Amino acid sequence: MDADTVASGMIYGSGGARTTVAIVDDHPVVLEGVRSWLAADPRLEVVATGDNVDAVLAAGPTDVILLDLRLHGRMAIDKVSELSAAGQRVVVYSEHHEPSTILAVLDAGAVAFLAKHEGRDHCVETVLAAAADRPYVPPSLAGAMVGDRRSSRPALSDKEREALLLWFQSMSKASVAKRMQISEHTVKQYVDRARIKYARAGRPAATKSALLARAIEDGLIRPEEIVTYRSYASTDRPLP
Amino acid sequence: MSAERLRVAGAAVAATTDRGGRIAAVAIAFGWHFAVNVPGIAGGWGEYRVPWAAAAGWVLFVVVGVLATARLFYGFAVPVFPLLGVLLIVDVLVIAITPDDQIFNTLNWAWGTIGWFALLLLYDRGVGALVAVLVANAVFGLVGVVAASTEASGAADLSRFVMYIYGTGVLPIALVAAMGVLRETALSTAASEAARAALESERLGAAHAQQERQDRLGIVSEAAGALLHDLATGRADPADLDVQRACALAAAQLRRLIAESDDVPDPLLHELRACVDVAERQGVPVDLIAVGELPELDVAIRRRLAEPLAATLATARDWARVTVVAQPDEVVVSLTTPATAGPAKESHSWPMDGVVDYWYERDEELVWTQTRWRAA
Repeated sequence: MDADTVASGMIYGSGGARTTVAIVDDHPVVLEGVRSWLAADPRLEVVATGDNVDAVLAAGPTDVILLDLRLHGRMAIDKVSELSAAGQRVVVYSEHHEPSTILAVLDAGAVAFLAKHEGRDHCVETVLAAAADRPYVPPSLAGAMVGDRRSSRPALSDKEREALLLWFQSMSKASVAKRMQISEHTVKQYVDRARIKYARAGRPAATKSALLARAIEDGLIRPEEIVTYRSYASTDRPLP
Repeated sequence: MSAERLRVAGAAVAATTDRGGRIAAVAIAFGWHFAVNVPGIAGGWGEYRVPWAAAAGWVLFVVVGVLATARLFYGFAVPVFPLLGVLLIVDVLVIAITPDDQIFNTLNWAWGTIGWFALLLLYDRGVGALVAVLVANAVFGLVGVVAASTEASGAADLSRFVMYIYGTGVLPIALVAAMGVLRETALSTAASEAARAALESERLGAAHAQQERQDRLGIVSEAAGALLHDLATGRADPADLDVQRACALAAAQLRRLIAESDDVPDPLLHELRACVDVAERQGVPVDLIAVGELPELDVAIRRRLAEPLAATLATARDWARVTVVAQPDEVVVSLTTPATAGPAKESHSWPMDGVVDYWYERDEELVWTQTRWRAA
């Protein structure tokens, strides 16, 4: 189960201030476990933890909030919308990884979704990518995107869809690259481009705009590609 | 149960109901032709302008009636409209050879019989065509009546003509209309009954699935509980590989139960879960993740999707991941598991009957099998 260590080593490890993270979870054991995962990485600093979003944020600003979706028996999707609209980067993690839940979380403006069982590496990489306003697509998120049948779904190219599907199946970008006979870098590009298309769909949120802006800066998409869909049925051309 | 199957079930019941109507139509047509027309023709034999033409017409009606009956009951392809033409020609012929003063008697038999024989030909074609034939019949009749009537009897003949047309036309039309209503009623009754039965079996299936899940949850919870207890009391060592393995297995089983969101188990998922259960009993933690709503698949296709994976899953030793991604026109099933002993590199790929594609790949790290069905 390899995470995307290649890109992370090159992009995120370039020195500077450490990324600050707050963790919100109502299970002390999970909270402690995730805290120890993140704290073990020198690029990350856990600044606050707790079982209540407002209390945790009151402790001060933070680059990324890692939010357990189900808090005290309630799904906190409205909280995700509220925070994302205000520009707070939210990474949602949950044991509820039904596609409908994941897509609702993306629509609400969360930067990423992570299934609780996806493990340490994905968790660290997701938080780091989120802090840089870059997409990170763990396999559970890829599965939700590839199975999306809503009429409002963004139009993915065949290559993007195939990359998502194979990534969801194998959880190994190296294996996907071999299968598709392209480089790992290109696999990641297809997957990330698919994710960025989701940032263009649904309600606008400050976090979505930040993802889009960074994607343009990184050359992942062209500015002229960012248009409101006139027709969801129209096919989208991949980058050459 | 799909809408298509409900429709077919309804159609079968409606066809059975409709059989009664068809038998009635045939009985009326031939009953009239033999019981009324034969004595009519025989009794007026000497009065016809060309007697043998009346008999020939009568035989032609029988031939058309037999062909129409064969079509009604056995689906014989017969040329409906040319046969209607034959009936109308005989109709005109009989009017022409009937003496003027006998125009309203049984000598002019075809006029009153054509409606029933046309009905045999047009039974399932709606009431429109039948009305058209009856109108043509009325026009020929009117020409005959006008040609035959004398000045003195003109008004009375027209009145009789209207009565006659009304009497011979209304009954076949009524039968067609009544059978149409009956067919519709049977169809909707059968469809709603089939829907009710489908709903009931779905409810039973859901209850069964629920019970099955409860049972499995009980078993898994017990195992997980004992494991946690041992860990808490220090009897089990978290550093012990066997303990780690047991934890991974229990976690995978619980995760799988949480992920099962289908009310009624889909047959493909059911088959895959059975394979996964076998692997789990051998101590291999397996993730089974299904995305999307599975379309209805033939048994043969389901088998082709599941079997190659079952074979590979049986060789899994460490962990395995099974995914199902479903769309209305595509289902992709995949299995990945760490590569154990075996050739370092291997790759097969073949389309199975062009309906389900299969590939198998192994490298140093991973064994990866995928089956993919695409709607033709």
